[in-house]
Amino acid sequence: MKIPYRWIREFVDLQITAEQARDTLVNAGVEVAGVTSTAPDVKGVVVGEIEAIERELGESHGHTLVLCRVSTGSKRFSVICGAPNTAPGLRAAFAPPGAVLPGNRAIGAATIRGVTSEGMLCSERELGVGEEHEAGVLALEPDAPLGADLVSHLGLDDVVLEIEITPNRPDCLSVFGVARELSALTGTPLRAPKLVLPEPEEDVHALARVRIEAPDLCHRFTARVMTGVKIGPSPAWMAARLRAVGLRPISNVVDVTNYVMWEIGHPLHAFDYDTVAGEGSGLASPPTIVVRRAREGERMKTLDGQTRALDPSMLLIADPARGIGIAGVMGGADTEVKADTTRVLLESAYFLPASIRRTSRTLGLKTDAAYRFERGADIEALLDGSTRAAQLIGELAGGRIARGVIDVYPTKHTPPRVRLRMSRVKRVLGIAPPPETATSILAGLGLPTQRRGDELDVEVPSFRRDVTQEDDLVEEIIRVWGYDRIPSTLPGGAISLVRLPATRRQDRVVRTALVGAGLAEAVTYSFTDPRRVALLRSPDDKPPIELLNPMSEEGSLLRQHPLDGLLGAVATNVRRRQPNARLFEIATIFSWRAPGAPQAPQQAGRGGATAGPSADTSTSERRWLAIAVTGARGDAAWYRGEEPVDVYDAKGLAEHALAALGVRVRGQAGGRLAGFEPDTHGVLLTDDGAAVAEFGEVAAPVRGAFGIDAPVFAAAIDLDAVAALPRPAVRYEALPRFPAVQRDMAFVAGADRPVAAAEVEAALRAEAGPLLRDVTLFDVFRFPDGRRSLAWRLTFQAADRTLTDEEVNAIHARVAAAITQRFGLLLRTG
Amino acid sequence: MAAAEGPDSLRARSEGGLGGASRTPHVDVDAIAREAREAVAAASTAAALEAVRVKYLGRQGALTQLLRSLGTLSAEERPLVGAAANEAKRELEALLDQRLAVAQDAERTRARAAARPDLTLPGRRPPLGIVHPLKRVEDEIIEVFAGLGFSVVEGPEIETDYNNFEALNFPKDHPARDMQDTFFVPGELLLRTHTSPVQIRTMQAQRPPVRVIVPGRVYRRDIADASHSPVFHQVEGLAVDRDISMGDLKGTLELFARELFGPRSKIRFRPSFFPFTEPSAEVDVLCFLCVGDGCRLCKQSGWLEILGSGMVHPNVLRNVGYDPEEVTGWAFGMGVERIAMLRYGVDDLRLFFDNDLRFLRQFA
Repeated sequence: MKIPYRWIREFVDLQITAEQARDTLVNAGVEVAGVTSTAPDVKGVVVGEIEAIERELGESHGHTLVLCRVSTGSKRFSVICGAPNTAPGLRAAFAPPGAVLPGNRAIGAATIRGVTSEGMLCSERELGVGEEHEAGVLALEPDAPLGADLVSHLGLDDVVLEIEITPNRPDCLSVFGVARELSALTGTPLRAPKLVLPEPEEDVHALARVRIEAPDLCHRFTARVMTGVKIGPSPAWMAARLRAVGLRPISNVVDVTNYVMWEIGHPLHAFDYDTVAGEGSGLASPPTIVVRRAREGERMKTLDGQTRALDPSMLLIADPARGIGIAGVMGGADTEVKADTTRVLLESAYFLPASIRRTSRTLGLKTDAAYRFERGADIEALLDGSTRAAQLIGELAGGRIARGVIDVYPTKHTPPRVRLRMSRVKRVLGIAPPPETATSILAGLGLPTQRRGDELDVEVPSFRRDVTQEDDLVEEIIRVWGYDRIPSTLPGGAISLVRLPATRRQDRVVRTALVGAGLAEAVTYSFTDPRRVALLRSPDDKPPIELLNPMSEEGSLLRQHPLDGLLGAVATNVRRRQPNARLFEIATIFSWRAPGAPQAPQQAGRGGATAGPSADTSTSERRWLAIAVTGARGDAAWYRGEEPVDVYDAKGLAEHALAALGVRVRGQAGGRLAGFEPDTHGVLLTDDGAAVAEFGEVAAPVRGAFGIDAPVFAAAIDLDAVAALPRPAVRYEALPRFPAVQRDMAFVAGADRPVAAAEVEAALRAEAGPLLRDVTLFDVFRFPDGRRSLAWRLTFQAADRTLTDEEVNAIHARVAAAITQRFGLLLRTG
Repeated sequence: MAAAEGPDSLRARSEGGLGGASRTPHVDVDAIAREAREAVAAASTAAALEAVRVKYLGRQGALTQLLRSLGTLSAEERPLVGAAANEAKRELEALLDQRLAVAQDAERTRARAAARPDLTLPGRRPPLGIVHPLKRVEDEIIEVFAGLGFSVVEGPEIETDYNNFEALNFPKDHPARDMQDTFFVPGELLLRTHTSPVQIRTMQAQRPPVRVIVPGRVYRRDIADASHSPVFHQVEGLAVDRDISMGDLKGTLELFARELFGPRSKIRFRPSFFPFTEPSAEVDVLCFLCVGDGCRLCKQSGWLEILGSGMVHPNVLRNVGYDPEEVTGWAFGMGVERIAMLRYGVDDLRLFFDNDLRFLRQFA
């Protein structure tokens, strides 16, 4: 919110600079994003008067050029101007020769159509003070002092504080509110605006009626009536001020309501009195305001020209015939103040904040008024707003103000009292000021305080609805007294054991293993898009979780496949010409717990603060380790070629990570996860047959959809499943005392007899018996004709003796015979 | 050893060892010795020296033959010739050993020089893995607080409105909710906008004292730009005990800042507003680049905003069944991305989620 500093100083005589005021506010918790000058980038522009229009010079670009005689009081100029609003007697912004306009545009004398023009009459846009240009030159009030510097005449030689108000401080959403805060913080007296109204004969109560039918939503409604109003543009000073704070000037009456909202903080609304109906027909009763809930199916056209569908949760300002405004949000189009309006009904009311917020959100209608009402307006200050606006309308639009105000205020606000113990201050902050200091701080903030020993009894005014309990006062005291005074101590208390969740320990093990193996860790978004999900979804997957309000289609679902994000990271690198990527991610994936519609959760959460599926939601969150490799195993080097990665890289990395977690697995073809080439997709099973990981080659259409040309091999480990596995305790086994004997054994499988190495090896183990200590498949190759050779190294060892060659040879021969026979293999010799 | 074994056929006599004049008709020890010395002198390689050894000392070598034939000499001659021959053999052996050592040394030197490795070639390096910078910073933060007795707890990312907002004193239909633009999930659920719901879960699950640190992923409907991301990471801290004050919060965070940003680090508290703390404080750390003088990093202010904090709001304590008259507490929360950006001078938050290896490698 933009607050001009000079405007603040109309209410408090600050002896500090705007920058000092900023620091003072920031140190007390009122954020100030910046201090900027409002002065346009012009020099030498003054108030001039068009004394006469001497002659027309013809058309140019659709405008009639005229030669004006312009006076600045002391000098006269001949000025050519094409603006539609030039008229004798008009006072306007004038740039005489020597003046400078924005963009360093120096003004001099120029010759146009053979006529000399000395200087230039300027529009808002030409001056850089607004957008207006088509309407013509910037017109000033008739009594604007001739020759005066325009920038200072309009009060534009000012700075604006860009204030960011936290939701708890609606009282600072106005110039006066910020002035009140600065008054308290600097100890400078506050000067409330002087509000004096003439008291004409006509009583407002004879002119209008107000009835509140929904007192739960509208706590107070006041109305004034002004007659004999002349609608026209606002004076230049007000228009300039509104523009400086980011509001668009519209007309004097509407501008006054906006100006007062900015100044006092209370949103007002002006109705065209003559469009508001009374009870019954004809002249039976004066215009009547009914504050009620909207009816089911009721519709109303708002000021912005939109027809709005309303419902009974919304509060409506109505006359007996129809809705004329959505309370606290926006007025109706039918009753808008227009150019021909002569009588105005001025609303100043208080609405239940939550109701305004709901309505504004339901309608998607965010307005300055709703912004203030939903944060909480000051129910006691709304008359000030109304009076100030009436005063300004009287001055600027020539209106006659009817006597008195209609004030329907069913339940009067009683200021709550809050007790503050100085011992509580000390306990919460670790330090406390003397009670007299606390008392004077609170008084300065406008919170009258009575002291009873170490206890303060504080009355909370209507503009500080955020203060409801003792600790709120603790904060008020310390933010003024100074956060710097809070001491720096360390908590005492009992020492307790520091615990790390098992999930986190597991993350650490996996991360260490894979980083040690040369992989880079990725962190990706949890969102995914429907096309990716379609590619990465298996038929038996639960439905994906859809966001109700995604920011885009691409981020409308929560990822359900462990590789979803990581493949994106691979794609990024491949696209950026880094074809060798070895990445991993510890990724949470999401799904509904049960298929079908989600169930409503329990109100309050219960249970432990641990990761994983939560007992009080219908969703499941599982941690997976995702691994993906593409390109070469390593960059080319003088000692190594660029070998392309293959599926065994993915499998090996998964096995490596699992080994680090203490899990031994065996692989077999198959798997549940979508996204792999069916012929190059495997699972890793524990000894008990539990599938804890999958690996394979990413299916070509999937990586194609990610924009990856090269093969990608990937693995995914279900970390939560691994965490749930029983972990056998480590037991020491004595080192072997007798030597081991090694024998190699190679088989050839015919091209027509494919065998699975793991099956052969399992058979080999079983056949060899207890003396076999270790088996390693150390050589695999394929002959050109398709036959495959597999060679194992068998290590035999006995715990109690040195094995003899005869013993080992016998086992070797038995094993070789059994394997060749069972699998139809040839034993290679020599 | 050799004296008694000499073959008889050899007739050798010596009067003064190898150098002495010989009067034997068949063999002259001196002559052999001289010849052998000349041969050694002429041999320049280890192989040539080895050949000399064979020629004189080998099985069929001249000296060996001579010694073998001592038995053919007379009883008077035998010891004299034997002694001379043995002496000559010893001397020749010593000479050969010495020359061989020199020759071998020279040859090894030559051979190594020929095969000398180019030590400027790069070594055979295993690939270097990389911990993601966000995880690295998260771990560092956790480590500091673990050292201060904070246990790590975690919670789900899909949360209830109650845990994420209501229990934390964000009433329904309150503008405070605008501070955290929320992604909603069917079933009246949402993606948590902060790690604070874990405060609620933790306090509901245990009695005070509580001292926990909560890392985790959070979500807000912010368009991704250089300083915003719809997904980011927070670390939250919570301490609740019988007597715990805002002073303790300040002291703890001061310690933290010194651990993370260096021993000269200072912090400053500024009043702020969070619905779940009262009083609330924004915490700035003295800009470590300019040490308070003002620079581009701190936008000339000399301070960097690093976290939000405050005393746990009594309403929050009541919501979890704690008595605010009995216990007080404080909480703080920081964005891991923000800390990492400050730490490493990263100027665009999106880089953390791009996972470009050229970026990640800088943190290896």
